[in-house]
Amino acid sequence: MASTLDSYVNRAVCVITGDGRNFIGILKGFDQTINLIIDDSHERVFSSSQGVEQVQLGLHIIRGDNVVLIGEIDNELDSRLNLSEIRAEPLAQIHH
Amino acid sequence: MLPLSLLRTAQNHPMLVELKNGETYNGHLVSCDNWMNINLREVICTSKDGDRFWRMPECYIRGSTIKYLRIPDEVIDMVKEEVVAKGRGRSDGKGRGGAQRGRGGNRGSFGASRGRGAPSGRGGGGGTNKPRGK
Repeated sequence: MASTLDSYVNRAVCVITGDGRNFIGILKGFDQTINLIIDDSHERVFSSSQGVEQVQLGLHIIRGDNVVLIGEIDNELDSRLNLSEIRAEPLAQIHH
Repeated sequence: MLPLSLLRTAQNHPMLVELKNGETYNGHLVSCDNWMNINLREVICTSKDGDRFWRMPECYIRGSTIKYLRIPDEVIDMVKEEVVAKGRGRSDGKGRGGAQRGRGGNRGSFGASRGRGAPSGRGGGGGTNKPRGK
């Protein structure tokens, strides 16, 4: 488990949280409960009526309870995205 | 770098804490522990919709209710200094995991020894503890 996330440290990652939000930033650290340090982060807010809005946030600790998915970002692919053209429904939050 | 080391370094810095229920708390971190329980001072609480605010001189937040913490950018550079200072003691990251696994083993034997002293004390639920005790 831990060894897998090790390879993501100091890379750009996308973190999807339990409330359906999508954070992008540099993974600086993690622990055994998947608490994450995300540096230089921004949130991408998806909407079906307009392009993706990016909100600058900075340094975050995301509590592991709330982490659903961590994915490595392919910077080259990501830079080719035209976020202002992308329309998508925002993710729903988890219901317990 | 461990998230809780960063949090410890952020003591006396301002931060924003969002809880799982959507409320946010802005204040200065006074102290924190290994469960992410935190003490804030000079707090402004904002309701989930962001339409109501409460000021309070201090508050205590249970770690398990936290969704995320937003911390000033410069704090991460201060952790690096601390890690370098403690570098040697900390280098055995894997050893700590091993120690915890060891503790799990101890817990079993602890339960067993307790079981010998008072057999019905712990084995009540599972019943499987009893044979292990002998």
